[in-house]
Amino acid sequence: MKRYRKMALTAALGAVIGTGAMAQELYTPNMAYRTGPFAATGIPLMNGQADYMTLLNERDGGIGGVKVDFEECETGYSTEKGVECYEKTKGKAIVTQPWSTGITLQVLPKANVDEIPILASGYGFSPMADGKVFQWAFNVPAGYWDGADMIIQYLEEQGSLDGKKIAFLHLDHPFGKEPLPVLEMHAEDKGFELVPIPVGLKEMQNQSAQWLQIRRERPDYVIMWGWGAMNAGAITEAVKTKFPMENMIGVWWAGHDADLKLVGEDGKGYKSISWSFPNPDAPVMQELREKVIDAGLSQTNPEEAEGVFYGRGLVMSMILAEAIKNAQENFDTAEISPEQLRWGLENIDLTEERIAELGMEGMVPPFSTSCANHTGHSGGWMLEWDGEKFVKASDLLKANVDGYRDLIDSSAADYAEANAPWPVNEDCAAE
Amino acid sequence: MFAEIFIDPWVDMFAAPDFLMQVLWEGLVSGILYALIALGFVLIYRSSRIFNFAQGIMVVFAALTLVGLHAMGVPAWVSVALTLGVMFVLAVTIERVVLRPLVGQPDIILFMATIGITLFLIGLGETIFGGENKVMITGDLGIPTGDTVLEPFGGLLILQHLDITVVIVATLLVIALLAFLNYTQMGRAIRALGDDHQAALSVGISLQTIWVLVWFIAGIIALVTGIAWGARAGVSFALEVIAYKALPVLMLGGLESITGAIVGGLMIGVLEKLFEIYWGQPLLGGNTETWFAFVLALIVLLFRPQGLFGERIIERV
Repeated sequence: MKRYRKMALTAALGAVIGTGAMAQELYTPNMAYRTGPFAATGIPLMNGQADYMTLLNERDGGIGGVKVDFEECETGYSTEKGVECYEKTKGKAIVTQPWSTGITLQVLPKANVDEIPILASGYGFSPMADGKVFQWAFNVPAGYWDGADMIIQYLEEQGSLDGKKIAFLHLDHPFGKEPLPVLEMHAEDKGFELVPIPVGLKEMQNQSAQWLQIRRERPDYVIMWGWGAMNAGAITEAVKTKFPMENMIGVWWAGHDADLKLVGEDGKGYKSISWSFPNPDAPVMQELREKVIDAGLSQTNPEEAEGVFYGRGLVMSMILAEAIKNAQENFDTAEISPEQLRWGLENIDLTEERIAELGMEGMVPPFSTSCANHTGHSGGWMLEWDGEKFVKASDLLKANVDGYRDLIDSSAADYAEANAPWPVNEDCAAE
Repeated sequence: MFAEIFIDPWVDMFAAPDFLMQVLWEGLVSGILYALIALGFVLIYRSSRIFNFAQGIMVVFAALTLVGLHAMGVPAWVSVALTLGVMFVLAVTIERVVLRPLVGQPDIILFMATIGITLFLIGLGETIFGGENKVMITGDLGIPTGDTVLEPFGGLLILQHLDITVVIVATLLVIALLAFLNYTQMGRAIRALGDDHQAALSVGISLQTIWVLVWFIAGIIALVTGIAWGARAGVSFALEVIAYKALPVLMLGGLESITGAIVGGLMIGVLEKLFEIYWGQPLLGGNTETWFAFVLALIVLLFRPQGLFGERIIERV
């Protein structure tokens, strides 16, 4: 009996210590995919995200003096596993980072009930921009509809699109279909023909049929909404079929250095819209090299650390860290709740000065969020492959959000109606 | 609608014969690669009645080993030889550790064991080589990468030298394999095991040796397939998905038929491409390649449940 009492006491003590230890951290799980067919694009992004948080932990002792627990839950980009990860981590998480449009769509209604902010940086369901309806979801700093709009703007700068033909090569997946409403809207307004060309998950490595169609259709431009192995497959086929690379533009997930290195010089001229840009000379990179990479606390390698995706991972974590800091300052507490973090995410004000203060000059455009604006609409740069690396090929492009505001509002309203009863943030509506 | 289905596609084919030739060429290249993967499945199934779920990951593992060894400074062709050595060690290990203890177990147990091998190889591969996309060492292996542009009927036909090489090498490999199976003692032993397990064992054919041999041959096929696919779009774990394209080939050709794997692979490669280009894209919005081969196999199975070249099994009840 005495022994059992001792065991119970030890367990209780352990629980108290454990709870205490858990309370001394900011648990921000990341639904990573370092395995599976999309791992090639996932790894540098996850490394960048993790390394920024490691830097904060090493340099500043965390955020507001509290360490960040940036635990990864591996999904392999599988929606089912992503939902499992969400369920597993939601108990103590202050945020959930679903890392796939498919997973985002699945956890969207759940997070609304559990009241945990979803942070889907640059992906997910575009109408999440409407903070009144999607009060727990954020796709800062830009959504897919922003990306589609900026690409069309850029193409229009090259000449009128009236009578032109644009092939839309996309992954046959919720992510790939996401920009279609805005592209269709522009096709109607600007008088170009849009030819959607889906690529199945099993066909990512062998896109000869899709590129035969492109050869037959003779489009003026190809817009690519690719991810993972699809990008490498498309770019090598484009080179093979001699499609002019300067007329091919990808979304930000199709601008991965490693995919272009497969074709090297032959890929010269290929473009990708991007809301982030790597800057190896930025002060934050110097600190990362000193305190994280050279200290052996990172999984990255020097070459990857200078790429677009690693830099984007850093920006993603910086945005989350800024939101946490906002919440800590506003609520005067270091250990914030998910609801307080939501406030933090709704009050991001990333000015040029603040970006410079963070040592990330030129790595992300300035943007701000609000209760009603959960995307930020930062805009982005058109990047171009110069045969060795991506370089900026345009000034900052800004999406003309007012042009598809009605689409955002109606899609958000449709979603709320289809998922009724769906609570709407009435305070926000009053803004 | 009648015209769109029954007339327009044929008109398109005759109107642009150069394009039709390009479609047929691309279909042939895909088909020969499907046939290669299917051969890996068939060899193992014939000799052991095991459906090898691990064939796809073996492709990835072989390609990763080759690229990984070369990245460590090993010359390209030495890396090929060493990779073959690794595939041999893998074959011996699988036979010793996984298959031998399971002799006599129901087929489903052995199938589940190959799923276990798949998961193990995924983990091992990711631990050793990481999940990043890697560039296949095409140039170092001396594989040509340019193209030949022809102008048949005043049109355009682009033949990639890489694709031509793949077709030639794959054809030679298939011929060598057929010669091995038909004209060597070991090859005949493999076929004997496939035809009648008990009879083969009773005349002294060693099950262990044959299993190691077929898994090693499957490893060689995996390496060739890995080089061919890896040269097209890089070496990553996404290559594993390619193996699933062999499933309808096996359904169509028959699980135990080598001829079936070759004919089935070529048929599916060419027909799925023709259907996608002339019917799928104009009428169904494209991406029919994900299901066409399965529907074709299903139709064949309705009339020939054993596949086009499979053996008809009649059992007394």
